Amino acid sequence: MNSSVVINITRKRENPPTKWRLLPLRVDDAFMSMAIDEALLKLNAEGKSPNTVRFWRWLPSTVSIGCFQSVEREVDLGTAKKYGVDVVRRITGGGAVFHDYDGELTYSVVCRQDDVPDDIIESYKLICGGLVRGFERLGLRAEFKSVNDVQVNGKKISGSAQTRRLGSVLQHGTVLIDPDVRLMFELLKVSPEKISDKFISSVYERVTTVVRELRRNLGFDEVMVAMSEGFADALGVELVEGELTRKELELAALLKPKYASEEWLKKR
Amino acid sequence: MGYAEFKAPKGVIKVELELSGDVISLISLSGDFFMYPEDALEELERTLVSVRTDRGSLLEAVRRFYDSTGVRTPMVEPEHWVEAILRAAGGSR
Repeated sequence: MNSSVVINITRKRENPPTKWRLLPLRVDDAFMSMAIDEALLKLNAEGKSPNTVRFWRWLPSTVSIGCFQSVEREVDLGTAKKYGVDVVRRITGGGAVFHDYDGELTYSVVCRQDDVPDDIIESYKLICGGLVRGFERLGLRAEFKSVNDVQVNGKKISGSAQTRRLGSVLQHGTVLIDPDVRLMFELLKVSPEKISDKFISSVYERVTTVVRELRRNLGFDEVMVAMSEGFADALGVELVEGELTRKELELAALLKPKYASEEWLKKR
Repeated sequence: MGYAEFKAPKGVIKVELELSGDVISLISLSGDFFMYPEDALEELERTLVSVRTDRGSLLEAVRRFYDSTGVRTPMVEPEHWVEAILRAAGGSR
């Protein structure tokens, strides 16, 4: 990968596209990852961090829950402990997600509120449009499913969650490459309300993965490049590879203990 | 203590509440919905304490909360909160 200009979508336009930062893939524990996202959001709101796209993996594998969820209602904590899976509460709403280190890629987009539509669903549609184009680059026909999902063949392959603070937006979400779906449903307590509504007897039928749809194995790099190009295309920006700044890392280090605390995890 | 779930078009609303007669004395809301800003959920819980658990009173309280905070909950409407609360209240009686 070229170190300076990673993605440059050629298009007919009068002005050169706006530059956003693309961070290299990181592998962190859940608490650090959540802290980095919050640090980027806060500093972007203060004008101290550029608009950014990043990708990361969770080590160890983690269940993240939405900020309004009750951990005890959503997660089988005994199973999590048994398999060494961390559990963390996000600052974004939405549902519980199993982030499998071996089979799931997570992305974050942080930008100024003015750079996406004010309407919440429209802003999801724009950012998730990057994923849709990314899946298309991988050879899949994907579509945005309101409010916050991307589907392939009618099944969820990606879910996202967004928050807005002080004039900036953080949207992060999952790309299911080849996660352990059996373990996923062992860890998550799926609401009977949710299943019955869809008239589906098995939860397995609601979710799919890149590997299952493409019928071949592929690496994280291949998915990441496709998604980066997809984001650049959908957002109409040029992604330029950069690094986290010292200020961002320092703020993340300050925020990390909150995410690791029992108080935060058991807030609801 | 009453508990119920209700699936709105986006998200399952989970309600745990205690009643004093037919008035809410304690309420906890959770689920996989979205709410902007997020800290408004605590205000909704505070708003609902002391409200009678009939559809009209609940709807008035929830609508007042939406109007006064400007909160946004994509594909979740005031009626959905009310339905979830009525179910939980029904279960606690």
